[in-house]
Amino acid sequence: MSDNSFRLPGHAGLLIDRARPLGFSFEGRRYRGFAGDTIASALAANGVRVLSRSFKYHRPRGILTMAGQDANTLVQLPHEPNVLADRRVLSEGLEVMGQNYSGSLERDRGAAMGLIARFLPVGFYYRALYRPGRIWERVWEPIVRKSAGLGKVSLDGPRAYHDKTYAFCDLAVVGGGPAGLSAALTAARAGARVVLIDENPVLGGALGYARFDAEGARGEALRRELIAAVQAEAKIEVMTDALCNGWFADNYLPVIRGRRLTKLRAKELVLASGCIEQPAQFRNNDLPGVMLGSAAQRLIRLYGVRPGRRAVVMTGNAEGYGVALDLLEAGLEVAAVVDLRTAPEETATMAALAARGLRVLSGHAVVEACPGPGNRGIAGVLIDSIAAPGRGAGQSERVPCDLLAMSVGYTPTYQLALQGGARLDYDDETALFSITGQPAHMHLAGAVRGVHDLEAVLADGRRAGRRAAEALGLQAGSEPDETTDAAAGGVNHPWPIFPHPKGKDFVDFDEDLQVKDILNAAADGYAELELVKRFSTVGMGPSQGRHSALATARLIASATGRRVADIGVTTARPPFSAETLGVLAGRGFEPERLTAMHHRHLERGAQMMTAGLWWRPAYYGPPERRETCIAEEAAAVRGNLGLIDVSTLGGLEVRGPDAAEFLNRVYTFAYAKQPLGRSRYLLMTNEAGTVIDDGVACRLREDHFYVTATTGGVERVYRSMLWWNAQWRLEVDIANVTAAYAGINIAGPKSREVLAALCEDVDLSAGAFPYMGVREGRVAGIPARILRVGFVGELGYELHVPASQGEALWDALLAAGEAAGIRPFGVEAQRILRLEKGHIIIGQDTDAMSFPHEIDMVWAIGKKKPFFVGGRSIQLRARRALARKLAGFTLEGEAMPGESNLVLRDGAMAGFVTSVARSPALGKTIGLAYVHPEDAAPGKTIEIKLDSGAMVRAEIVPLPFYDPENARQEM
Amino acid sequence: MSDAPAVSPGDFPRRSFLYRTLLAAGARFVERHGAALAEDFGAPEAEARRARGMGLAELSPLPRTGFKGPGTAEWLKAQGVAVPDESNRAARQEDGALALRLGPGEVMVLGDLAGRSGLPAALERAWNAAPLPPETSPATPRGFPVPRAETHAWFLATGQDAPAMFAKLCAVDLRPSGFPDGAIAQTSLARMTGILVRDDRGGVPAYHVLADSASAAYLWACLIDAMSEFDGGPLGLSALRSLG
Repeated sequence: MSDNSFRLPGHAGLLIDRARPLGFSFEGRRYRGFAGDTIASALAANGVRVLSRSFKYHRPRGILTMAGQDANTLVQLPHEPNVLADRRVLSEGLEVMGQNYSGSLERDRGAAMGLIARFLPVGFYYRALYRPGRIWERVWEPIVRKSAGLGKVSLDGPRAYHDKTYAFCDLAVVGGGPAGLSAALTAARAGARVVLIDENPVLGGALGYARFDAEGARGEALRRELIAAVQAEAKIEVMTDALCNGWFADNYLPVIRGRRLTKLRAKELVLASGCIEQPAQFRNNDLPGVMLGSAAQRLIRLYGVRPGRRAVVMTGNAEGYGVALDLLEAGLEVAAVVDLRTAPEETATMAALAARGLRVLSGHAVVEACPGPGNRGIAGVLIDSIAAPGRGAGQSERVPCDLLAMSVGYTPTYQLALQGGARLDYDDETALFSITGQPAHMHLAGAVRGVHDLEAVLADGRRAGRRAAEALGLQAGSEPDETTDAAAGGVNHPWPIFPHPKGKDFVDFDEDLQVKDILNAAADGYAELELVKRFSTVGMGPSQGRHSALATARLIASATGRRVADIGVTTARPPFSAETLGVLAGRGFEPERLTAMHHRHLERGAQMMTAGLWWRPAYYGPPERRETCIAEEAAAVRGNLGLIDVSTLGGLEVRGPDAAEFLNRVYTFAYAKQPLGRSRYLLMTNEAGTVIDDGVACRLREDHFYVTATTGGVERVYRSMLWWNAQWRLEVDIANVTAAYAGINIAGPKSREVLAALCEDVDLSAGAFPYMGVREGRVAGIPARILRVGFVGELGYELHVPASQGEALWDALLAAGEAAGIRPFGVEAQRILRLEKGHIIIGQDTDAMSFPHEIDMVWAIGKKKPFFVGGRSIQLRARRALARKLAGFTLEGEAMPGESNLVLRDGAMAGFVTSVARSPALGKTIGLAYVHPEDAAPGKTIEIKLDSGAMVRAEIVPLPFYDPENARQEM
Repeated sequence: MSDAPAVSPGDFPRRSFLYRTLLAAGARFVERHGAALAEDFGAPEAEARRARGMGLAELSPLPRTGFKGPGTAEWLKAQGVAVPDESNRAARQEDGALALRLGPGEVMVLGDLAGRSGLPAALERAWNAAPLPPETSPATPRGFPVPRAETHAWFLATGQDAPAMFAKLCAVDLRPSGFPDGAIAQTSLARMTGILVRDDRGGVPAYHVLADSASAAYLWACLIDAMSEFDGGPLGLSALRSLG
């Protein structure tokens, strides 16, 4: 196998750069290609024909379309499975392997499956593998699963950067062939902003590879002319190498270009997606060397590759003669042109071929391809005259060749139109699918609309461009509303299907389905296409029926005595082609919120934890000293002085003449008579009476409350407040100022003296500033709201200052407290401290059913209020006997229950542990748990089932565990 | 102004929400309104060019305020503020400040980029100096001040590529053709809520970005990441001045 022995001499190959050779490997062997080559074209240039093994029978497969439309070319890259070798562009050093084989690609042990194919009829596993008993799950499913799937996913591959972007345009044109180009030009010249999308590296579509005249120059000349016009048009943005992979409502188009997904919103859409050439069905039609005529042309014109040495062309239309001329000009010997038609209409191309003395067999068909060694190519074809549709006369002639090019018809690339709700009809006269009923603001142009003659295609593009422009309110000249295409009637042969008694006449290459599989499905009663699909899996492979839908519809129609139009195709859904999860995921945005002191925590070695979107310090110190650090932090607060960042607490300003009335309605407690300069506990319930949040309300003025809410709950509280007041229409304004305030709680016996050193304008003495008092003043020169609260149960002050000055306040407090031995403490120590005080945490000690009576919060319900949200439900729920009650428990010994461990009573679940910790202050384990109401009284014992399954007994004790007189926090 | 003495953010109690990020990017700071702002990042001339292509400046320490609630617009108009009649429009004030009408009862006021505008502070003073409602019963609604300098970080993205950059983070069409000077979008930006205001500078497209101050570092990183393909990067005040 010589290097690039199939590469055409000279400058052939629109896409390749012969000045830039590239080395790569396939199956471990080194090859050379050129920049611009695809993997498949470079391999073809080196004479490599087998690219993959088929899914079920492991048959060798090679190039079929060269358009990235089929599963034959799926290959494995080091970190990427199922790469389309005829689309992926070559790069230096690329290591490519085949897929789905056992042994080697050339000699695959899995090919033995083909020998037992007759025992594996379509749907066999529905019938054979379900008895006896559970044999499917135990035996067959593991086997089927092992053989299912293609390629190997790499879990240790490098992370690639993907992202997404939004884009907008007046008109999106999908397809950069002659129809799309002329549509884009017409609309842009009328003033529309156009995005022109094409999945190929260059514009032009078929102009770049197909033959439109006997001389073979028309396509390229027109391509250059149209592209130059597009490039000169400022209003056209060109996206090449870009795949429009679906259609969503209102022309919302996902366009994939490399690792970027563009979400394009287009006012108007011209769908000029062209058509997909179809294979013929005969025995061994899947072997390497059997390819579409357009695939051979793409190899020649786009990549400068000779697709074989000796060719036979099977055609059912005029295009096949162009293919034959191209093959001749590329230096191949063309053994014969086999025309399915009995009396084809003479064209200039046919005349040119005849002038070269080429053998043309009208009314004939290739009825079988003759395999080469190991099925790795073809050695020839059997040609027979057609006795009846789909049947040869039985006098076949063997013609040696290594290439069979098929030009027997097309389907429109209908997927996007059908996704938009269009219908697919079939014209029995022309044997063509046609699309009708596409959505508003979608215009079809060119071959997708059944227009094939080049001049008609150009006119049709102009027509679609004009209609799109007019829909945009622009004037675009006049063009006939209908395009006449004399050629359309002759492009599709109605029955290029030649079933063989021995099969291997493939309808669906992805799933290895043969003609008889489809016919058997119909014979089994699966007459509807959607059922045939599910029973046989036709159209379910990577190419999604692009090359099987037409033949399947024809076969089902024929077998059930109906029209092809009545069979149609299966439902088209996005995506059009395979897309990676990386493209769908994009860059990934994960917002996070940092407090003003965040970096100070990090500098002190804090271990951070998340609380909603926030990061909070869990404790300060290395993870291996976690328990010690937490205990030391808690002890510092109890015995000396601690400092915690509470900036994540929610903050809401509730202001207006009705502010107190508003709080009366949304919270359980009473606020109308709350004195100025005082804070009051807040408990929020929902309409069902379930506790959903808590905090404090600080009355700063008659009409102004500063309300705190839980870190995780504030957004919901804020939304809920807005929602309620949208109905109540009270004179109140609610503002979420959570981010505006940094919060620091300085707590411990020494907190007053240390704070006093920084605070000149507020009298901190117990008499002047009692527990639950609120003051406004300056701390270290920073304006602050100062709250005397006691979440941790010690003398303490919560300072709320502008977020931009939080770090400066933190620094000032640490400096002022340094001599006193101040120590920052984290959330973990705070949780222990508050548990010692018996304070609940909403969401941890409450769940979706907790109501005030269960958690001893009846004291927080205003008794004289006419209404508050949840009040009526609480009344109703309180009439019934309690099912559980939250109680404090202590535990002697080493046993440590976990949160959510069950509390059992007579072997049945009575409740569960909500909080538990080793109390440094008390020297034992303390916790909160829901227990049976009869067990909730102090002195009772409960049984807790540990993670290990062991049971421990705990004693119910009164709350709080620590400082029951609250003397320390109120000092 | 570029001759102002270099300062450090830690010299002031009031600090940018992401001053460490700016320091790491090589910022040279100057004092403005009792806080440090980045004057440049070591290459003023290159940054001036970048400002025309794609750049991002952190303006959070500069003055701004907001008012919301019934009576907000009327009270502001009575204070001499030009408040747009339509929501999601911005109006330039005589002293260079910008009044953003975010809703029927919500206005944000941004001081000018040079920090000369005294409007935000003057409005806060005027509101606080007015008699409290209980003393003037029945009270005329006049909205309530909201600490927008603290709730929202403030960035300015400038340059021709800004709409393409924002398109990677935001679903709103910000191209000049569809989003005129003075237009406001209150939208989702890199999965967080943000306010975008087009405010061209010397013929160069420019967009104020106002978003949750606690997420400032996150959003800054997202914007810088999104602009890397346009050779975008941080800008200081000197580059903004170069735009005129």
